[in-house]
Amino acid sequence: MAAPVGNSSGCWSVPEVYKHHEQRKVCISRPKYREGRKEKAVKVYTINLESRYVMVQGVPAIGVMTELIQLCALYGVVEEYRPLDEYPAEEFTEVYLVKFQKLTSARAAKRHMDEKSFYGGVLHVCYVPEYETVEDTRLKLQDRRRYVIRTAQNRAREKEKQERSNEDPTTSDTTTTTEMTIVEYDKTCDSDNTGEAQQTSYMSHYSSFPPLPLPPQEHNFYGHTNQQGNIQTEDKMGTLHNAIINTKQQLQKSTSFSQNSSDRDRGTEQRVTPNQASAVRFVPRTAHLENRKRKMAKEATEISLTDVSGKNEPLIGPKLPEPPKLDMEDVSLNTTVSLIRNTMKQVESVPDLKPLEKKIKPRRRI
Amino acid sequence: MWKKSSDRFEYLQTLVTEFQDTDIEEAKEQVLANLANFAYDPKNMEYLKQLQVTDLFLDMLTEENENFVEFGMGGLCNLSMDPECRDIILQNSGISLVTNCLSSQREETVLSAITTLMSLLTPLSRSEITHPSILHCMLRFSLSESPRLRNLAAVFLQDCCTEEQVAQAEQQMQGQQTAVGIPLPQD
Repeated sequence: MAAPVGNSSGCWSVPEVYKHHEQRKVCISRPKYREGRKEKAVKVYTINLESRYVMVQGVPAIGVMTELIQLCALYGVVEEYRPLDEYPAEEFTEVYLVKFQKLTSARAAKRHMDEKSFYGGVLHVCYVPEYETVEDTRLKLQDRRRYVIRTAQNRAREKEKQERSNEDPTTSDTTTTTEMTIVEYDKTCDSDNTGEAQQTSYMSHYSSFPPLPLPPQEHNFYGHTNQQGNIQTEDKMGTLHNAIINTKQQLQKSTSFSQNSSDRDRGTEQRVTPNQASAVRFVPRTAHLENRKRKMAKEATEISLTDVSGKNEPLIGPKLPEPPKLDMEDVSLNTTVSLIRNTMKQVESVPDLKPLEKKIKPRRRI
Repeated sequence: MWKKSSDRFEYLQTLVTEFQDTDIEEAKEQVLANLANFAYDPKNMEYLKQLQVTDLFLDMLTEENENFVEFGMGGLCNLSMDPECRDIILQNSGISLVTNCLSSQREETVLSAITTLMSLLTPLSRSEITHPSILHCMLRFSLSESPRLRNLAAVFLQDCCTEEQVAQAEQQMQGQQTAVGIPLPQD
């Protein structure tokens, strides 16, 4: 078991409350056919929302940390954990941060522990991706990408098998191309993983990578136990050394992936077309007009894209991601601030002029 | 319930039909979120492709309702790692549509857009995705107060762009910074 509060850096600093920690209201207006087994909110899960860092709220403050971590460990190896004393908690409850070794474990833990009672309290478990390091984020995305591509390849292979049994045996041409792509993919895999053990750990990872929030489906979470055995050597916090290697591999990989896909495209072309035709038949889509409009608009923007140099190019993301943060806590002061700000904006000829320095706290001057 | 794969296809088809037929915004949002979540599981990719859900998501990016944009962008984020879906998005001028979402006020939408852009990277699309204006945007994101945004932008800059590109973009940003040296409060 990991020790609480590890060696690591800024990811264990003072916690902030983010919107995605909130439990959203469940949706009660769904028609029967879209009702799942559990009441759920209207929310879209992406890989960005998921994380191997999990926050557990609503833990009764009666000294049950050990029990909580034991419960978590049922779903996979816990690398680090600690109470989040600074996080606003309800009375007589505590909040814990738990870092699993694998995203799949975190997912299983969330699924099984969220809204379950625990020593008289009801737990709320949510992912806290804001505790990830850059390296964590990168690995998370890489894992997901590998998994999706692998599934796509398996699907292509299965299709091919079916087709080969159905049709004449002249398709040997295409089979060789897929075989080649598979070999290629394995090669990239090898170069990524330094050891045999790691390779197998990825394998088990894939097999237990369950789909996320599909309403009417049950998932089995086996496979944690053998994950535990395999991967002790893997250090996911990532050093600088690792990071450099990774960028190189990323480049390598992206090129080889695209090769793969183009190879496969050649193979699947014949099948895709009938599919699309049938889709058009029973799914009347009114989006074609929209599409045309969009294309025209895009051509227009492309013209403007091409003829500008670095200086006065179209600015993407003009509203900076930071939401309004400066609050003088006084209506008239706020008005003054916005007045000054607007004037400054007019004075600047450059449309986007944002300070490079990072604001640590909103300044309060009176 | 999902014994046969044809069941899953029919279910998804019902969802798409409801989305197209209903005029109730709330129902549309629910169905859209449903479809976007189905897109998370690569096993559904084939059906979603047949039902042209990729186009449906792309259509959502130009909607006024911010929920539509967020859910559509989330769906694209989930789909775009699949090579065939990636190609569909690229063929339908997805890059500019997704790039527009970088300006969204909602963090989830922006995060989905960044991840999608990374997935859309191919040798052909590279020049468009690593356009200086996008790099500037990422550089600004990498200074954000939100750790998620900061991290994701960092991954983009480190993995999708060359060091020279980033250095060049940084230089251009510096030039802009020194024009007026007074740091303004961020609104």
